[in-house]
Amino acid sequence: MTASGLLLAAAVLVPLAMAACCLSRGIRARAPFLLAAAPLPALLAAFLVPDGTFVFFPAPFRMSLVLDRPGAILLGGAALLWSAAGAFASPYMGRKPATVRFAVWWLLTLAGSLGVFIVGDVASFYLVYTLVSLAAYGLIVHEQTASAHRAGVVYVVLALLSEACLLLAFVMLAASHPDANPLIRDVVATLPASPMRDSIMALLILGFGLKMGLVPLHIWLPLAHPAAPMPASAVLSGVVVKAGVIGLIRFLPFETGVPVWGTVLIAVGIVTAYYGVAIGVTQTRAKTVLAYSTVSQMGLLAVLIGTGLENADTGATTLVAYYAVHHTLVKGALFLAVGILAATGGARLRPVLLLTAILALSLGGMPLTSGALAKLATKPMLGYGALGYAMTLAGVGSTLLMLHFLATVARDARQNPEASAPPGQVLPWLAVAAASLVIPWSLYPAIAGETVQSLFQAEALWKLLWPMALGGLAMIAVSRLPKLRGAIPEGDIVVLAEVGSPALGRLILGIQQADAALRRWPAAGLSLVTIAALLAGALMLGA
Amino acid sequence: MTPLAAAPAHVATPGGFLLVLAVMLPVVAVLAMLALGPRQTARIALTTLATGLGVAIAIVVELLRTGAALTYVVGGWQPPLGLALRADGLSVAMLAMTALVVAAIGFFAHAQHGLEPTTRHGRAPTTFWILLMAVWSALNAIFVGEDLFNLYVALELLTFAAVPLVCLDGRAETVAAALRYLMFALLGSLLYLLGTALLYGSFGTLDIGLLSEASAEGPGFSVALALMIAGLLAKAALFPLHLWLPPAHAGAPAAASAVLSALVIKAPFFLILRLILDVAPPQAAAYAGQVLAILGAASILFCSVMALKQARLKLMIAYSTVAQIGYLFIVFPLAAGSETLPPWGTIAWTGGALQLVSHALAKAAMFLAAGVIAEAFGHDRISDLGGFGRALPISAAAFGLAGLSLMGIPPSGGFVAKCLLLTAAVIGGHPWLAATILAGGLLAGGYVFRVVDRALATPAIPLAPRKPIPRRLELAALVLALAAVLLGLVPLQPFGFLQLGRPDSLTVIAP
Amino acid sequence: MTAAWLGPATLFGLCGAALVGIGLFVVITHPGLLRRIVGFNLLGAGIFLVFGAVARRGAGAGFEGDPVPQAMVITGIVVAFSATALAVALLQRLFDLTGRETLEAQPEHLPRSEP
Repeated sequence: MTASGLLLAAAVLVPLAMAACCLSRGIRARAPFLLAAAPLPALLAAFLVPDGTFVFFPAPFRMSLVLDRPGAILLGGAALLWSAAGAFASPYMGRKPATVRFAVWWLLTLAGSLGVFIVGDVASFYLVYTLVSLAAYGLIVHEQTASAHRAGVVYVVLALLSEACLLLAFVMLAASHPDANPLIRDVVATLPASPMRDSIMALLILGFGLKMGLVPLHIWLPLAHPAAPMPASAVLSGVVVKAGVIGLIRFLPFETGVPVWGTVLIAVGIVTAYYGVAIGVTQTRAKTVLAYSTVSQMGLLAVLIGTGLENADTGATTLVAYYAVHHTLVKGALFLAVGILAATGGARLRPVLLLTAILALSLGGMPLTSGALAKLATKPMLGYGALGYAMTLAGVGSTLLMLHFLATVARDARQNPEASAPPGQVLPWLAVAAASLVIPWSLYPAIAGETVQSLFQAEALWKLLWPMALGGLAMIAVSRLPKLRGAIPEGDIVVLAEVGSPALGRLILGIQQADAALRRWPAAGLSLVTIAALLAGALMLGA
Repeated sequence: MTPLAAAPAHVATPGGFLLVLAVMLPVVAVLAMLALGPRQTARIALTTLATGLGVAIAIVVELLRTGAALTYVVGGWQPPLGLALRADGLSVAMLAMTALVVAAIGFFAHAQHGLEPTTRHGRAPTTFWILLMAVWSALNAIFVGEDLFNLYVALELLTFAAVPLVCLDGRAETVAAALRYLMFALLGSLLYLLGTALLYGSFGTLDIGLLSEASAEGPGFSVALALMIAGLLAKAALFPLHLWLPPAHAGAPAAASAVLSALVIKAPFFLILRLILDVAPPQAAAYAGQVLAILGAASILFCSVMALKQARLKLMIAYSTVAQIGYLFIVFPLAAGSETLPPWGTIAWTGGALQLVSHALAKAAMFLAAGVIAEAFGHDRISDLGGFGRALPISAAAFGLAGLSLMGIPPSGGFVAKCLLLTAAVIGGHPWLAATILAGGLLAGGYVFRVVDRALATPAIPLAPRKPIPRRLELAALVLALAAVLLGLVPLQPFGFLQLGRPDSLTVIAP
Repeated sequence: MTAAWLGPATLFGLCGAALVGIGLFVVITHPGLLRRIVGFNLLGAGIFLVFGAVARRGAGAGFEGDPVPQAMVITGIVVAFSATALAVALLQRLFDLTGRETLEAQPEHLPRSEP
């Protein structure tokens, strides 16, 4: 067992061990302070463990861990956000008894969400994926409000649905394999030739798409992310949705490519990207606007993944990870910013708002920010045809949505009394904001294969500036339409699902009546005789 | 008319006496309890539980050591005149699971009886111990029995011990539930008895081994087998024959519910498995397996929805039992085997056995946790349990962990079981069964989630237990739930232990 | 096999079948529990007759009659007696508590756990 192997394992095991330690009364009192420290092994692993590391833990664990380039990028960004959000959480949550429970759910979600980036075999992937899915429920319902409860129910239903789709897909993937728990890369290599290829692809996209929030499976996201406490929203929106992204990166066959399904992903992604913006601008709560922005950004990621799948481009995975880590850090910082802004007022509001604006516009691709880098790095992959323009237009949408977000938070913060957020909250926020600039800049030359100087050329700047200008114009147009505000409820088409509930209620009532009828003695006796006759018939047929 | 087999069908093995011990030890305990009076009952019971656990471990060790089935020929009389006891890998797994679950339930019951010192040696605790021992003995007899008539007697003993467990508290509702249970179980056992009569009439033996070798067929044989299986289905409470189960299992005291739901209904299933796999000719078994799988799938879907709609915790768990039993019956078409691979070499066989064991552990844990909840709050209405997780954290954790196994969430025995069954369904081309397994998991997620949601809730007025609940009362449920979760460490492949002692198993694989 | 078409074994068998049919009918259709218990005994008696018929045919051992089914019938009678006793005892208890001797009065009836 090498040191890198142990460090990788520690990335998952340390948070789990900390969660277990919360059983002890002494440690429980200090639980909030564990939150910032728990992701540190993962952070170290992301920086220290060399790419391409593979470790296998023999029976009874039978777990393999791998760290490749996309995994390392995502792991590092995620661990950083988890750590900062954890530091933010301990003053934010206070020292209430419920905080311990929050800490346990936090640590479990953390372990799962970091685990998905590094596990290498199918069964372990399903295990950590389930862990992050189910433990996140505890974070969503933590505040126990009616809206949190509704969000929790919708979330659990969809999360279980996603689990079911993925379980079937994994079983189908592993079915043709001699090993009961094969490595992901082995099963993915055989996927394009599998007779069940299309069903598997559909199930994978359905399952991971649910987690990412691709339209129309996004309904849980705008309900759940705003319902959670602020630091939890940051990691839910920044990291947890990336479980779907890494799932697609890991399980789709980029080496051989499947053009049909690549096109499907691109189409779904573009629809999601626009849809998120269109619904987002009608929202009035800052956190909901950010959640819809996440939906939209996940759409962009789906387009990138789809393009890679269509062109059989293995390099796409690294670019997707690069774009994803930009989103992780920026979206995390934005959610924390909402928390900071709520506690800030008076003269101190201006610098906080300014930094928030820079972060927000980064999502729209403001020059010199991580968003600009991510867009420029992925541009060559998308080409300069219709798809390239569609993505640029989505960038216009992002700018519009972020301007709407800024207007919303500025309006909300206007009445705040003179105050400033505690340094325990401001410092983590500043750290994430700084990381969102530093990490993408330092990775850019290696990822994009271009020098940093190329970014300062006029052409590159123009490519970024005109969509932003267009976004600004769109914002002016939208702000002239006051009717738009609050026109669509949070979670938009979940309302449609709730319309179908009377039919479901009738079905359940029918089942209950049938149960009552079947449980009457004569009916049951008759059933028994009938079953005996049926069995006799079946046995005679086979004899 | 088949002549008697020339060579002895069963050869006693050195460890065979352990099987007699497993069956007789609880009987001796019952006799001792009756002889020594109520004051000694609990002590005798606890001693027997420990010894019985030791015997079960010894049987496991002996099976692993020899790698062959344990056999005992009663009185040295060979079948068809005499009786044989035989335990292969599956039987031994059942024996061990039963010993573990009974011991945990006994531990719980002892702690619960200790809560009220005045009635500690009263009628209800004494009766409970006697019935628990009787149930245990009957279960062991069923798991090692080879003679179908002997098995009938064991099944009846099981029913006669299980029925009074339902109405231990003597309230009118539970007496009615017990009567309903007894009536339907009797109907089932008489059908089974009729089947054995017809079978004996055709073949002159009721020994499973001999019948299996006789490769019997014919219309009489089919009718006999159908009657026996239908009778056993009535006792296993498979949909639509589940009329008796929800009131009986929900009305009984927690420890009794756990015995009934975790163990008692597994016995008829075990016999159906033996009839289908060992006695019926393969082709006929395949058709009958289809019928059983349809009923099983209906059971999963229908009763999971019913569980979802129950207002009371124990009724929900009881309906969940009917649903989970369904998974056992969809094993038949999945474990159909082939020319080269016998059924017990398939992954579905391992999946089915794991489902059986993990459900027993998880369901016992759930009922015990529900018992603690009822003890603490005086009711088990799910809607009024908001925040019970804070009042009873261990029980809530036990319930949640057991729920993971029922839902098939990793890492748990239930997950491995459902994953294996799903794999078998996918490989064997049974899309409907695959869909049923997944839908059942979703619905189970729904009903477990309803309770977990209540556990996590924080109502304005915190829920307080009406009396202090000692830690040891909660421990049994947690241990069982953890055992169900730890079963998830079993590898995702055919498990060698379950093939030990099966005829023509390809190779004896060390587990 | 006996040579005569309507030998004693066949007669026994037919009687047994008839009793089984009657017993099954009574058990399934009658709501009264006492009648159902009687029905069970009829059903059981029918099965024992079938066993008798089986014994009469003599199994493969070459005996004139097979002793094993007789042992089974005796065991079966003991079991049936115990079952009847248990059922009657429970019924008596139910009658004492509620004054009813049927279960179907409230088909939806499920016990509550609260005392």
